[in-house]
Amino acid sequence: MKSFWHLFLILLALAIPPAGAAETAITGGAAYFAAEEAAGDLPPVAERLPEIPLVTVMPEIGRPGGELRTLMASPKDSRILVAYSYARLIGYDREFNLVADILERFEVEEGRIFTFHLRPGHRWSNGKPFTTEDFRFWWEDVANNEELFPVGPPTTLLVDGEKPEVEVIDEVTIRYSWKKPNTEFLPALAAAAPLYIYMPSKYMKKFHKQYADAAELEAAVTDSGQPSWAALFNRRGNQYRNDNPKLPTLDPWVLRIKPPADRLVFVRNPYYHRVDAKGQQLPYLDQIVMDVADGKLIPAKVAAGESDLQARYLRFDNYTFLKKAEKQGRFQLHLWDDSRGSNFALFPNLNCNDEVWRAVNRDVRFRRALSLGINRHEINQAIYYGLGKEGANTVQEMSPLFKPHYRTAWSSYDTSTANRLLDEMGLTERDDDGYRLLPDGRRMTIIIETAGESTEESDILELIKDSWRELGIGLFTKPSQREVFRGRIFAGDSTMSVSYGVDNGIPTADMSPQEFAPSTQQQYMWPKWGQYFETSGTNGTEVDLPEARALRGLLEEWRANPEIEARRQIWDDILQLWSEQVFSIGTVTNIPQPVIVDRTIHNVPKEGVWAWDPGAHFGVYRPDTFWRDTPQDTPVALSPVEDRLQ
Amino acid sequence: MLRYLIQRVLVMVPTLLIISFLIFVIIQAPPGDFLETTLAELQSRGENMDQNQIENLRAVYGLDQPFHIQYLRWLFGQWDGFDYVKGGLIFGDLGYSFEYNQPVADVVGDRLALTVIVSIASILFVWAVSFPIAVYSATHQYSLFDYIFTFVGYIGLATPSFLIALVMLYFANIWFGTSIGGLMDAAYVGQPWSAAKFWSIMEHMWVPVLVIGLPGTAGMIRRLRANLLDELNKQYVTTGRAKGLPPLKLLVRYPLRISLNPFIADIGSLLPELISGSVIVSVVMSLPITGPMLLSALRSQDMYLAGSFLMFMAFLTVIGVFISDILLALLDPRIRLGAGAEK
Amino acid sequence: MTDLGNTSGNPGGLPHYVNPAPFDPYAIDRPNPALEKIYMASQWRMMWLRFRRHRVAIASGIVLLAMYAAILCVEILAPYGQHSRDVDHIYAPPQEVHWFHDGAFVGPFVYSLDYQLDMEDLQRIYTEDTSDPRPLRFLCQGDSYRFWGLIEGNFHLVCPPDAETPLYLLGSDRLGRDMLSRILYGMRISLTIGLFGVTVSFALGIIFGGLAGYYGGWVDDLLQRTIEVLRSIPHLPLWLALAAILPVHWSPMLVFFGITIILGLIDWTGLARAVRSRLLSLREEDFCVAAQLMGAKPSRIIFRHLMPSFMSHLIASATLAIPGMILGETALSFLGLGIRPPITSWGVLLNEAQDINVVALYPWLMLPIVPVIVVVLAFNFLGDGLRDAADPYR
Repeated sequence: MKSFWHLFLILLALAIPPAGAAETAITGGAAYFAAEEAAGDLPPVAERLPEIPLVTVMPEIGRPGGELRTLMASPKDSRILVAYSYARLIGYDREFNLVADILERFEVEEGRIFTFHLRPGHRWSNGKPFTTEDFRFWWEDVANNEELFPVGPPTTLLVDGEKPEVEVIDEVTIRYSWKKPNTEFLPALAAAAPLYIYMPSKYMKKFHKQYADAAELEAAVTDSGQPSWAALFNRRGNQYRNDNPKLPTLDPWVLRIKPPADRLVFVRNPYYHRVDAKGQQLPYLDQIVMDVADGKLIPAKVAAGESDLQARYLRFDNYTFLKKAEKQGRFQLHLWDDSRGSNFALFPNLNCNDEVWRAVNRDVRFRRALSLGINRHEINQAIYYGLGKEGANTVQEMSPLFKPHYRTAWSSYDTSTANRLLDEMGLTERDDDGYRLLPDGRRMTIIIETAGESTEESDILELIKDSWRELGIGLFTKPSQREVFRGRIFAGDSTMSVSYGVDNGIPTADMSPQEFAPSTQQQYMWPKWGQYFETSGTNGTEVDLPEARALRGLLEEWRANPEIEARRQIWDDILQLWSEQVFSIGTVTNIPQPVIVDRTIHNVPKEGVWAWDPGAHFGVYRPDTFWRDTPQDTPVALSPVEDRLQ
Repeated sequence: MLRYLIQRVLVMVPTLLIISFLIFVIIQAPPGDFLETTLAELQSRGENMDQNQIENLRAVYGLDQPFHIQYLRWLFGQWDGFDYVKGGLIFGDLGYSFEYNQPVADVVGDRLALTVIVSIASILFVWAVSFPIAVYSATHQYSLFDYIFTFVGYIGLATPSFLIALVMLYFANIWFGTSIGGLMDAAYVGQPWSAAKFWSIMEHMWVPVLVIGLPGTAGMIRRLRANLLDELNKQYVTTGRAKGLPPLKLLVRYPLRISLNPFIADIGSLLPELISGSVIVSVVMSLPITGPMLLSALRSQDMYLAGSFLMFMAFLTVIGVFISDILLALLDPRIRLGAGAEK
Repeated sequence: MTDLGNTSGNPGGLPHYVNPAPFDPYAIDRPNPALEKIYMASQWRMMWLRFRRHRVAIASGIVLLAMYAAILCVEILAPYGQHSRDVDHIYAPPQEVHWFHDGAFVGPFVYSLDYQLDMEDLQRIYTEDTSDPRPLRFLCQGDSYRFWGLIEGNFHLVCPPDAETPLYLLGSDRLGRDMLSRILYGMRISLTIGLFGVTVSFALGIIFGGLAGYYGGWVDDLLQRTIEVLRSIPHLPLWLALAAILPVHWSPMLVFFGITIILGLIDWTGLARAVRSRLLSLREEDFCVAAQLMGAKPSRIIFRHLMPSFMSHLIASATLAIPGMILGETALSFLGLGIRPPITSWGVLLNEAQDINVVALYPWLMLPIVPVIVVVLAFNFLGDGLRDAADPYR
């Protein structure tokens, strides 16, 4: 495969509509800017759009105007709008294929040479042109600046520690090339929390030592209370955090209030690059208003009609309460599919320090027996009204890689098989109370640690406890604070833990299978092996379990192989091995996520997938196409944006 | 007297230094640092942060420095050899909040005004409720109404406020349509002051004031009542009664006045109380005051925000105690002499 | 003497009357037997007499005694076991106990529960089947338990009528656990926390306060400064820090003790101050000076004269401190620092109830607030009574 020089050319037909048609159809966009346009402060919409805008397909073509209120739990959540806005160089569509978005088109050769074509005439929200200079500036003057990035550029941009070669071809074309394939590059650009490889250079140069006037910069640093110019630069230019109202953006909405504030207001970006089929500039909604309230109060506030669109901070167990409120007619309540591999899963720590337990945990029969000893049906009925799907912690139906036996493998409730497996392991000795004994004579009581943040976890464990009793295994729940919890797992102090299942349960063959193989410390079943790869061998320990090594081998094969069919095959192998080995023990998955939509808001699908990455929650459903039936004529007066920036 | 003052001031300096050290230790006691906590929180939601970026931030924030350096930097600022660079609590620089990415003074400043308003309202509420109850129950000891009123006054102390807060929010919304949580309707947040905004605040404020104030009434009733009973049992009251003074006049003239004396001593501790607000209640009600900010800063180990804010409160407490000691010494020579005699 | 106006029967001289009865000039000072009893009563007895006048305090004391007696035999009082759950009866509302069925006296019984799942609203709906009375069983065999973690048993005061019919007098929670049983088991933890916590702060307070009051001088100064420092630091960060210090590998029981110690550690300053100032002022009291002048030894002065008036005050303060501990525990649970499930305390129960779903749909889960209020009020009234009685000579 590697000896062959393949050429992949991904052209996006969607992005190239008949250019003339789009131009003639541009109808002036939003009334929101009428005053500015009339006064000449803002050019007419046709001039604001790139030469080739992106025509977005949507269920219902809407009308611009109106605002949308939503609730968040922290002023830091202004970043969530970056996810919802989901304007990326390259983004996922609803079927989770990668398509050009901000880019007009892109080409990938051999999975290692990436050529990006920008839209000519595309502008930042402040009207300054968006060109390859913004990419060059970021790469040469930011990512490779020792003060701004002391440890070097983001790891996704390094393949085996090697930086890419970045060529600026012309004002709208740039190329990144590595010696080996970089399979994580495009997904990182399309992520909910994306990798930004560009920056509004014109604005940010004011804070850069190489470009700014030394005295002015010094004054700005002192003024802002920052320790150094680098800190000030990072502070002003954090595009994901989205906390600087003066930072130009390419997103559909621009922050207008300086955080921290309890009400964050975002207004439409006059230079946004998408239009609808009628040629109206998106987004439809003039304003997004985020009110900050305590997370626990959000369901109550939603029920009182204080949010137009809400899913974050609503839990499944709020459903009954919200359903009652729905009857007052203000909003509709939808249930979306959750994308996690398992809502909660158990992670036997294969790296735990207790040698006896480590040996037991590493025995596949033990893991299978534990999985067979869980009465998932009872959990589903008692906690999720039977609406979840019972099974292992693996990919979901929505994923093209799904096969039914991945979920059913070792996940039926079968205590006799489980007992037989345990007996086969030689754990036949029991104490007076009927508990099995470990090889060293201790009673077999598993202490399962939890971060203890939701009662759901402890409830599930309570239910599991009873069925494991029939296996002669005791279960003890030990809650601790999140940092302590993680610290103990990483250090190998805990034998087993409970946490969320696989984050991305809906992968395509092009998405990295790294969650299924040792790759980071965050994997609670093998934190030390993960750390070993994460730190290129400086920390952690080498994998010494053949099956886990096999998974790692498959992951590396996948990374080296850009061929889609081969990748699908690798994925199959990984999932097959994963489900046979039961490295983590799933419970119930696909717990519906309540989504509240005001009745006057259109284009929010009734059924959807609630996924952070890929998906960016509402992001793939394009909130810039959401529109309001009866736009409120009275946009709230805004307080002036404080000018503390310089 | 002057000597006493100087002595007190001199004692205050080491006291504050010790407090600052303790506070820093306390904040650093939980495992991990701000970045780890943030990372853990992000990852529990499926988000992630680049490992390099974390190291970058750690260096920028100085979190890679040993404990004592961090402490000294917080207190005395950053020094380049003998050249003062910036920061330092003793120079009035409260430091920098990681969480909000702003100087601490800016973060706290925005919330301080509302905090003071809520706290003053609560204190006034406490006084308004407890004063009549205490006077009545002291003058009618062991009567039926004594029991009933004291019961009412104590009920606030007995109910866990976090639960009551939620219940009241919910029913205030159902019955009066008050928006849930916060101190005003969302539309007024961040807006300049206006009559409508003021009204909206009034409409929202009674719930938190009630919930924050009620637990305080019991203590107040108890102290006032005890003081009054003490006074009422004194001979001059008997004399006055024997001379046929009208009961009300007799009560108000001396006993009531004297029994209020301890409240002067309390003025000192009011200062920090005004600023800190009631943390738990304000978290439940998501009030835009300093309480929730302090809690989240402690939780996320945003150490300069938490540390400087706590230090600010400790400073107010120490100053408050100092002020009330002086006041008492001025008002009541016995205490001054007594203080001398004890030593 | 009052009969000065009566002048009859005195021949010659000024009319005046002499009372033939023997005159005792000390009669006015001699108490009648009832008073004498009071005058001669010991200090403790005086306090009791005084305390008795505070009727609510008496009642509170009785309530508290009953509750503390109950925590000794929670296993028997609770209709269900501590961890018994019934997935078929999740979120069942409190059942009513009836006495008459169809006009006829049946004795205490409940109706059997019909259960329906409303898939539209995802709500479990329970209806009483009023044609089907099921009498309660008393002094019966039910869920088995280990009494005090030692003795196997299954004897209960009251049990559900039969296997299908539950007995949820206070409703059931999200796993079908009986709230009444959980409240009773929680009572054991919460009430002991108050007691242990106060013991810790009491011990610390007496030791430090006593040292300061006894030695005075620099010891006193040091203590005063320490207390001042401790009081200047708000409780919240102290809680967070101390809770973080508790080793993670501790078992829940040890964590429980750790938390009581934390509560005690934070609370002792007030008591220490009280002890110190009490000691200082008592030293100067007349009866103390008198004892000194009469040549009593210091030990006699301390134990015979100082202790009673001193202890009574401290007991009163301690009584008033207990409810603070109990509430402190609920607050710690709220912050996620205190006791956590699977151990049940009132704080844990209330924290679970702190949810908008509960307020709107399952209000009976907030019932643990009732015993909290009762206990806190009772301690307060008891403390008030004790404090009023503490100084009986006034």
